[in-house]
Amino acid sequence: MDAVLELDGVTHRYGATVALDTVDLRVMPGECVALLGPNGAGKTTLTSLVTGLLSPRSGRIVVAGGDPARAATRARLGVVQQRVGWPRTLTVAEVVHGAAVRAGASRLHVEPALAEVGLAELRRRRAAKLSGGQQQRLQLAMALVASPTLLVLDEPTTGLDAATRRDFWTTLATRRDRGSGVLLATHQLDEAAAVADRVVVLAHGRVVAVDTPNGLTSRLADRIVSARTCLDVANLTNLPGVLDLDATDGRLRASTTQPERLVRHLLDHDPSLGDLRVEAVGLEHAVLHLTEGAQTPDGTTPVDRARPRPTTEVHA
Amino acid sequence: MSTTTTTGAGAAITRPDTTTRPPARTGRVLANELREELLAVIREPTTLFFTVAMPVGFFAMFVGLWGTEPEGTTNVAAMMLATFGAFGVIGVALMTPGIGVAEDRERGWLRVKRVSATPLPVTIAAKVLACMPHALGVVGAMSLLALVLAEPGISTVAWLRVLMVLVLGSLPFALVGLAVGFLASPNAATAVLMALYIPSSVASGLWMPLDMLPDALARLAPALPTYHLGQLAVSQLEGRAGLEHAAALLAFAVVAAGGAALAYRRASP
Ligand SMILES: Nc1ncnc2c1ncn2[C@@H]1O[C@H](COP(=O)(O)OP(=O)(O)OP(=O)(O)O)[C@@H](O)[C@H]1O
Ligand SMILES: [Mg+2]
Repeated sequence: MDAVLELDGVTHRYGATVALDTVDLRVMPGECVALLGPNGAGKTTLTSLVTGLLSPRSGRIVVAGGDPARAATRARLGVVQQRVGWPRTLTVAEVVHGAAVRAGASRLHVEPALAEVGLAELRRRRAAKLSGGQQQRLQLAMALVASPTLLVLDEPTTGLDAATRRDFWTTLATRRDRGSGVLLATHQLDEAAAVADRVVVLAHGRVVAVDTPNGLTSRLADRIVSARTCLDVANLTNLPGVLDLDATDGRLRASTTQPERLVRHLLDHDPSLGDLRVEAVGLEHAVLHLTEGAQTPDGTTPVDRARPRPTTEVHA
Repeated sequence: MSTTTTTGAGAAITRPDTTTRPPARTGRVLANELREELLAVIREPTTLFFTVAMPVGFFAMFVGLWGTEPEGTTNVAAMMLATFGAFGVIGVALMTPGIGVAEDRERGWLRVKRVSATPLPVTIAAKVLACMPHALGVVGAMSLLALVLAEPGISTVAWLRVLMVLVLGSLPFALVGLAVGFLASPNAATAVLMALYIPSSVASGLWMPLDMLPDALARLAPALPTYHLGQLAVSQLEGRAGLEHAAALLAFAVVAAGGAALAYRRASP
């Protein structure tokens, strides 16, 4: 089976800013690859290269067997961009019709595409008058109308309500079953964990990890131990492996690389211990951990800002 | 192209592969782009009003003042129709597509077009052709005014020749507008294009005859494409083809097309 997207050693610069640094990436038919990473990591730059908006300074990009700089190649692409706008004078149906014509698909696909994203009733509304979430759906209808080989989605669910989000992923699953590959740039890590076959983590333009969502989270030895306890949590910080501690309303929440150690300590010292749980960290934690080494221009690390501060100093 | 003429949901079932081949597609894409541009004119006719009203207003003023004075072999009103007509269509072609594309770009609609499978020449051709209704509107309105305010005294054939060279000859100017529109914001594009438009029109004798201008300016005129369009239109009145002016405009068109294509590639996404 041929990959629907291949990147080999792709580098892109904006002036002195290196936005992408020798990135390799592959998406197979029917596969969903999520592109994760903090703001400015290079996700939009990567999707712009794949959709032909930018050309790489070096490296090779093959989309559906072709060069994205060629219009004929882009006919096999479906794109949802992070930010777009609409002409004041065209209706929803006209905009999707235009997308069908440009991609060489029949106008007969327009109505089904509108129905698929739930915009059939708004077909006569001016595109520019749609709400934010409706505009996102309109972009999806345009992306789907020509049955693309590869879907490139840059934060497609931003601004969508819960029900629309669910419908969005259902629609996408149908298209993946029919063989469309998906490249998804997102900050919704719960969604990425649920839908992606593989996750590519970017930090400052470099790929820092490629793995399944489960593979990524299980790479970290960290576990979250939580329980109701009457122990003074300040004493627990000295236990080996304990990273963060948090206690509110008598409930302890600790992240540790040695969960057995902490659990044994709790059981030994607190006869009234209750509601004990040990959980793997989420994808969010794993991504933060992977990207924390990379310094941001303001000198802080993403993790400093996002991770809860240990509260032990307060108790001590 | 039978796939495009079928309508109704039933046809989709009997014809599962409805993808058209590239040459047919290019034609359909161009037709669709033109349709979208025309819909914009129909739904927001105020843009038509403003691009047409300004040059036609000037024309009315000048013809009202001097249109009935005799001059040489050709009637003044007829001369003014040719030169102000050139001024009008150049304004339309420079400003309408260029500012339109700058607005599309600022809005984020150009990004949608650019990731779609539209070939660059089709995008540019559609934008250029779409200003033709405006150009026809300008020349049509000026012709009516000339009839009402003065006696232009030109044959229908001569008038048709003027109309044709003005509308076709305006197209290269649209390429310049597009080049600017691909790179600048709507406000900056308006300013830059106005700064090109008005001085070069005056220096080309489109407002008043060249012999009324300072010598230095008059000598500069043949270097300007605006001059050649004006002269091409005047030639039609005098029954000449004006091939040297047509050739100059063609050369200008080639350069402008290259500039527009380069600007498109450099346009920020
Ligand atoms: N047009 C541009 N000119 C200059 N620098 C740019 C441009 N676009 C992006 N950058 C820079 O390139 C880097 C990568 O930006 P990019 O938009 O790809 O990040 P991202 O991962 O999509 O971020 P976000 O999550 O905020 O959308 C950033 O440092 C950004 O400031
Ligand atoms: Mg982005």
